[in-house]
Amino acid sequence: MSFQLFTGEDEPNSSRTTTCRPIGQAPQGWQVVSRATREVYVSRLQAERLYKVFGRRPEDAVRRLQAGAGRDELRSEGTTAAVIDASIEVDEGQIFVVMGLSGSGKSTLLRMLNGLLEPTSGAVRFDGQDLTSLSAKELRAVRSHKISMVFQHFALFPHRSVLENAAYGLEVQGVARAERERRATEALELAGLKGWEKSWPDELSGGMQQRVGLARALATDADLLLMDESFSALDPLIRRDMQDQLLELQKTLKKTIVFITHDLNEAMRLGDRIAVMRDGRIVQTGSAEDILVRPANDYVASFIQDVDRSRVLTAGAVMTEVGAVLGMTAPDGTTLSTAAEFRAAAPATVGTGTPLADLFTACSAGGVPVAVTDEHGELAGAVTAERLLAVLGESGGPKPAAGVPAQPGPADASAPAAGNGGTVTTGA
Amino acid sequence: MPRIQIGSWANDAVNWLRDNLDWLFNLITTVLNGLYTAIHTVLAAPEPLVLAGILAVLAWWLRGLPAAVLTFLGFALIDSIQQWGPTIESLSLVLVACLITVVVAVPLGIWAARSRIVGGILRPVLDLMQTMPAMVYLIPGILFFGLGVVPGIVATIVFSMPPAVRMTELGIRQVDGELVEAAEAFGTPPRRTLFRVQLPLALPTIMAGINQVIMLALSMVVIAGMVGGGGLGASVYNAISSVNVALGAEAGLAVVILAMYLDRMTGALNQRVSPLGRRALAKAQAALGHWKFLQWRPATSVAMVGVVVLALLAGGMSYLDRNGGGAAGGGNGKPITLGYVNWDEGKATTYLWKEILEERGYKPKVQALEAGPLFAGQARGDIDVQTNAWLPVTHAEYWKKYRDQLEDLGTWYDKTSLEIAVPSYVKDVKTLDDLKGKSAEFGGKITGIEPGAGEMKILKDKVLPEYGLTGQYRVQESSTASMLSELDRAVHRKKPIAVTLWSPHWAYDKYPLTKLKDPKGAFGSGDGLHMLGRKGFRKDMPEVARWMENFHLDEKQLTSLENDITSAGEGHEQDGVRTWLKKNPGLVEKIAPSAHATYAKGQDAGKAPNIGYPAWDEGIATAYLWKNVLEKRGYHPNLRNLDVGPMWTGLSAGQIDVETDGWLPVAQKQYWDRYKDDLTDVGAWYDKTSLEIAVPSYVKDVKTMDDLRTHKDEFKGKIIGIEPGTGEMQRLKSTVLPAYGLSDFQVTSAGTSAMLAELDRAYHNHEPIAVVLWSPHWAYSKYHLTKLADPKGTWGANNQIKTLGNKSFPKKFPEFAGWLKNWKMTPDELGSLEQDIQDAGKGNEDKGVEKWIGDHPGIVDKMAPVK
Repeated sequence: MSFQLFTGEDEPNSSRTTTCRPIGQAPQGWQVVSRATREVYVSRLQAERLYKVFGRRPEDAVRRLQAGAGRDELRSEGTTAAVIDASIEVDEGQIFVVMGLSGSGKSTLLRMLNGLLEPTSGAVRFDGQDLTSLSAKELRAVRSHKISMVFQHFALFPHRSVLENAAYGLEVQGVARAERERRATEALELAGLKGWEKSWPDELSGGMQQRVGLARALATDADLLLMDESFSALDPLIRRDMQDQLLELQKTLKKTIVFITHDLNEAMRLGDRIAVMRDGRIVQTGSAEDILVRPANDYVASFIQDVDRSRVLTAGAVMTEVGAVLGMTAPDGTTLSTAAEFRAAAPATVGTGTPLADLFTACSAGGVPVAVTDEHGELAGAVTAERLLAVLGESGGPKPAAGVPAQPGPADASAPAAGNGGTVTTGA
Repeated sequence: MPRIQIGSWANDAVNWLRDNLDWLFNLITTVLNGLYTAIHTVLAAPEPLVLAGILAVLAWWLRGLPAAVLTFLGFALIDSIQQWGPTIESLSLVLVACLITVVVAVPLGIWAARSRIVGGILRPVLDLMQTMPAMVYLIPGILFFGLGVVPGIVATIVFSMPPAVRMTELGIRQVDGELVEAAEAFGTPPRRTLFRVQLPLALPTIMAGINQVIMLALSMVVIAGMVGGGGLGASVYNAISSVNVALGAEAGLAVVILAMYLDRMTGALNQRVSPLGRRALAKAQAALGHWKFLQWRPATSVAMVGVVVLALLAGGMSYLDRNGGGAAGGGNGKPITLGYVNWDEGKATTYLWKEILEERGYKPKVQALEAGPLFAGQARGDIDVQTNAWLPVTHAEYWKKYRDQLEDLGTWYDKTSLEIAVPSYVKDVKTLDDLKGKSAEFGGKITGIEPGAGEMKILKDKVLPEYGLTGQYRVQESSTASMLSELDRAVHRKKPIAVTLWSPHWAYDKYPLTKLKDPKGAFGSGDGLHMLGRKGFRKDMPEVARWMENFHLDEKQLTSLENDITSAGEGHEQDGVRTWLKKNPGLVEKIAPSAHATYAKGQDAGKAPNIGYPAWDEGIATAYLWKNVLEKRGYHPNLRNLDVGPMWTGLSAGQIDVETDGWLPVAQKQYWDRYKDDLTDVGAWYDKTSLEIAVPSYVKDVKTMDDLRTHKDEFKGKIIGIEPGTGEMQRLKSTVLPAYGLSDFQVTSAGTSAMLAELDRAYHNHEPIAVVLWSPHWAYSKYHLTKLADPKGTWGANNQIKTLGNKSFPKKFPEFAGWLKNWKMTPDELGSLEQDIQDAGKGNEDKGVEKWIGDHPGIVDKMAPVK
């Protein structure tokens, strides 16, 4: 499942709009799990109450954090709490974006997911297997077969050719040479590097190098792909290309992806779900629209200020009930008393996935709101011009809309408390 | 401040280690010695030029053609300046040290890179290793490992280890953390991460470290020469301790060539062994234009083939050598190789000696060679004796070149002459002058022999011009055999012929020939025929050497012998000898008396005392004197040239049994005090020594110490001293200077060599200079110096020169110790001995001693009486 977040000129892709998930309807998995017993797993990857503390006596620090001590308090004693009480769940085939500024702990969180860093406290489950309980050797086996990683600065081995780089994971798995070269060649082809096998990393441009990094990650057939700011070091056009390519690949490969970024637009573009991190804590988890429309606190709100909301928000996200528009008068004087009358009088009928940017013309045409239909063509709601302007004009303050499930998270001393107190998080 | 006794703790620690970890040190010594011997044996086996070829192929592989050519030239130069042997020793030392250093340092560096604690502990240890002056641990090194290459290797390892560890650590730490993380993220086990990612990427840095190791090792090896490490260090040490600029320059040059080779090669090795280096190399080569072939390097496989081919060649050569040179035979016969220039008198004597030696139970092998290879081969020790060296004229060049590797066993025939001969039926040609204008008669040519022969050179360069024959006669180069057959042909046909010939020669027996007179003496005085032994031959085969030294043939004997051999025919030389010997009964007994008559053996004959000596004249003289006397008594003494400090250390540790040059009670007091518990004072043999300040005699009006004060400005207020630790220096500062009010003089303390060099310099420039000196010293015979009188007697009692032994010495060598105890020398005796040794030249000390003993009949019995 994926949102069409941008109607990129280079990639007309109408089919994506039809797979849109209506806002307010949480993905199947996390609702179930939040009520389910531990034995039942639904999500592919779960991280439960992860803590990572660097410094002396980390366990003590975790206990103190759990007792309500602040991050700054610990830092003054020389210990650094990089990740505090972070829980995420990622479904099969989902792109889960962790977004935050540098130092927010997102990379540390990522490295705990594949055991590069051992959590100070908490558990990571992948396919129901608790990675934190594995021996180093078992953990390496999991990493080599099930989890791949793509790095910010590509991390290609300069002493290996492109092909050898792409085949690295397979080499570690112990795959025979002919087999691993075949599979690495395929992966390179997928990444768009056919014909470059014999080249060396330093002969490639940054974008191409990252394609090698991607190919290396794909070659192992791992189901979980961890991407650590993978496109941040690329210039904007290349970055855009890579994002497109990732989405394109994802359509066929259906990997489970955890993607780290500090770029909100990238997060919005790629993420099926987004977790915003600040100072080691996850301050909000939700879809792009959740975050845009209902930022959990001032921090998130200020974060999303510069996002072009008209391109991120969709008609489905801002529409009102059909009932709210019934009884209004059309410009020609008729009163719209039934849904059918409204639908006939509406200046335009759009799908729930249509970005707001495409509604302006229709809304300005007359007094009748735009009709919104669901994927079955049934009338789902309406967008009035007032509503449209109101949504785009929203300062981004925390205004949970009615009907959106928002569960209060644990008290967060360090996050600037919003007016309504408490941070909104979702998940466990 | 309370005195913290770090020094004495170190001393205690060293003593404790010596007493308790002896087994460990013995083990290390055995291992290092074995390694060194193995490597040295391999490197020293091939002909120098073949090894130079192998090194050049390596250079080609690593750096391209110019480097290869330079390498070959460089090593050929080393061979030509006769530093090959020491260079190979040094190279072996460096290789052993580096091998061990790398084997230890790289894992240490890796460990340090992975563990912060290890890195933290290692750092100060490495600092200590690198900065502690080498001499400081060289001396304890002797205590632990004895003299020789091992302490040198250990010191080298200690000194050269730090950069390897540091660079390895740095290299591994420098590897991009993301790459290591990437490897881990793909589930790479740590070991594999290390070997497949970290090490390959750190390799350029590690190689830079190894390069540093090799360079440091080489510089240290030179220092190790001072503790008997041998190699170029010994050459350099020899050179500086005798102010021998020539040797110093040559040894120094050899060090430089070796250093540059090792540096460039290890520098380039990176391009071959590390993947990154290979990439860079390929790029650089692709970018080259025209001069590509200069940069072209053979592929590893091709270079491999080249090295293997040369190595096989070398192996084959030494195999042939050994075959020709005679492998050890059965029975109790010692093998002995006789070489000769393939001239008839050489063949004759060689086969005569072969027969004699066989009768005496030796296993002789004979080998005929051109003069050049013969001398070169003998200089390398492949040939024990050559029988027909024509000296001083004909083979002068070779002798000059190889004399240091040879021992002259004396002349066995001295009525030789070089000449032009014509058949006597050619009337009115009796002298060389008569040849003039008769070139038509002789076909305008003189039939000569091998072009390399000295006679040919003299003929062309001197004889022909002298008699105005240049232009009239062409000297036909051929060979001795073809000259003789040409002569035979001409005599047969009664044709005129002029041939280069020499006496003795059987041709005079066989044909009626006229030796053309040489009134102008252009051919020079007649050569003597010498027996030459390889270096060490006298020591290894004293009996044969003695026979050969006393060997003489007269002209009649020689020509008749030659004739018998020639008549017996090629391949049956020995039959000819036997025929001849039958005609000369009793000759074998005369030439090689089977009883060892000359000197009676001592009770302890066969023992091998180690005699140490410092490179001071009286030390050299007495050490060689005793060596000679002991050999006559059947001992096998070993001489060891050492610096004073190491010698005392060696003496106390029992590495050295005895030394004859202990200056006591003043000059070497501090050593005596330090080591006296482990030493025995065997006795004093000389008491006319003195310590003094000396000034050149051209400095007028400075005759006493008091004069020095008044002329302070002239000497710039400076006295050139010697090693700061010596008793003389301490005495000077504590007693002498204050007594004469000279305390404001500055006393330099750069060491004896530096003092002598400074003296030499000042003497040349005619500058005033005051040096710390002592008598006896050769400086007094080389320069005109004034010993400053010491009216107040501040220098104290005169030193005696004593013989000092290790504590165990009297027990181990009771007879020798007894001889030493009663031994005395007068200043005249010492002076003449030193003079004879000086005259014999460096490397020929034995000859000088031999001569001196000859001039002092009965001296051996006096010095070493046996019942």
